[in-house]
Amino acid sequence: MENTTVIETNGLTKRYGNGVLAVDSVEMSVRRGEVYGFLGPNGAGKTTTLRMLVGLIRPTSGMATVAGHAPGDPAGLAKIGSLVEAPGFYPYLSGRENLKVVADFAGIGHKRVPEVLDIVELTSRAGRKFGTYSTGMKQRLGVAAALLKDPELLILDEPTNGLDPQGMAEMRKLIKDIGQGNRTVLLSSHLLAEVEQICDRVGVISGGKLVTQSTVQELLGEEGVLVRAQPADRAYELLTGMFGPAAVSRQDGSIRLKTDPAGSVEINSRLVAAGIGVSELRPIERSLEEAFFQLTGEKQGS
Amino acid sequence: MIASIKAEWRKNRFRPAFLVSTGLIAGIVVLFYSAEWYQAAHPGGPREAVSILTLFPDQFVNNVMGAGFPLGAAMALVLGALIAGSEYSWGTLKTVFTQRPGRLSTLFGRVVVFQAWMGIMTLIIFAVGAGYSVVIASVQGHAISWPAAVDIAKGMGAIWLILAVNGSLGIALGALFRQSAAALGVGLIYVTVLQIIVVRFITSFNGGTYKWIADWFDGQNASALLQSFTSPAFGRSTPPAIGAEQAVLVLVAYLAFFLIASAALLRQRDVT
Repeated sequence: MENTTVIETNGLTKRYGNGVLAVDSVEMSVRRGEVYGFLGPNGAGKTTTLRMLVGLIRPTSGMATVAGHAPGDPAGLAKIGSLVEAPGFYPYLSGRENLKVVADFAGIGHKRVPEVLDIVELTSRAGRKFGTYSTGMKQRLGVAAALLKDPELLILDEPTNGLDPQGMAEMRKLIKDIGQGNRTVLLSSHLLAEVEQICDRVGVISGGKLVTQSTVQELLGEEGVLVRAQPADRAYELLTGMFGPAAVSRQDGSIRLKTDPAGSVEINSRLVAAGIGVSELRPIERSLEEAFFQLTGEKQGS
Repeated sequence: MIASIKAEWRKNRFRPAFLVSTGLIAGIVVLFYSAEWYQAAHPGGPREAVSILTLFPDQFVNNVMGAGFPLGAAMALVLGALIAGSEYSWGTLKTVFTQRPGRLSTLFGRVVVFQAWMGIMTLIIFAVGAGYSVVIASVQGHAISWPAAVDIAKGMGAIWLILAVNGSLGIALGALFRQSAAALGVGLIYVTVLQIIVVRFITSFNGGTYKWIADWFDGQNASALLQSFTSPAFGRSTPPAIGAEQAVLVLVAYLAFFLIASAALLRQRDVT
């Protein structure tokens, strides 16, 4: 049977020499063929986790299996393309020559170099020295290098960092295209919209701990119903009776119910039958941003 | 390992630091020969007279040995520190380490290509020295004769070994400090100042009782190895306190130590 898990970590922990616990017992599971969003605020431990997955950093404890091998194992690295943090290339070499160097290190031919340059739309500037590239071009070259091995697993750490809005949109489209088919993409980001647009599943890390791991839909799934009705107190009493106090809350003159929006018709009927005027009744669609802030304990707008 | 050598060669063959250093050392050999030629033609200055006989092709090996230490050594150290340290500052080490070859294989490729560059620099030093000596002999109307091939080979081997040892020190320091600037600073101070002061102190301390310790410093052995290449044409010279064979062995030991230290640092430490 084909192994459907491409990345599996068990209690992956990194404590630095100065005592800082950067990653704390992360249990992560990335399935084959999915685009997995690794979400967390700056300094949450995303990059440290990714560095451990590609063998750049050794974990203090715990273990990981990446593409069927231990992190950093040459056999595993042969199946992984990665861009961890800022792309690192030789400034005195052209983009094309840099990719040839990477291909040589990877032990593959140069046949893929023009192909990946085309994919990231860098062909026309491939002859320029890397040191003269803009941030966006550097990021593209980083993605091109990650694609060189035609990897089954692509690990991208904040690939839209430093890009202008157009560049970000293009990069997202590129990642979405790359993630089609059987290829697995692990995308780290602190941009919620990016993850919401691109990813199938999400892991949220905060303070070094993986606080949740689920599909985007599941994460957004704690939906509810918003009700505005008069008299509000009577409506609140009735709804509390229906759903229990834990599922009902008042906010900004409205009543929020933690319940399936499919039951809206029933709610409306009961309110109307009780002589309560309903001015608004709609499903609450929790944004990923709200879910994220709730999970990480960060304050919105702070 | 072949993949690492191929990649390292591709990235370093046009590296400005190597090209500039090679040009610089060739220029220094030319400058040295020019100055010596001028002095031989215009005796009477404050410096000891230079015999024109020392500038002819049969003496060129003895002449170019002076380029090996401390100048060549310092240049090799700079290049070693750059080739290792800049991988950290450019973030290229993580790019390389996330490709297929292991860390030690990557280092092996780097060392092979670096030492090949030291060989190229040695060849350039000898080629320029030989060429200039032919020019001098031709202008002076002196017959052109060459040193024995074995002497040329020994001379090239000695220069290469000195460049290799100091370059490897640069590589080890680059890996230790994870940057080129600190590696350069510390390395150059060690080679050109610190080692000399320490050796002087040890040699003079307690009437020279501990001079044997000074004889184990790489700089002392490099100097002794170069001094072993001399001939009566250069006039009186004091024989080096350290024999050429011992100097070679000590330098090879330093080379091995620096490379093992680099390997240990690269293998064990996190790439952050």
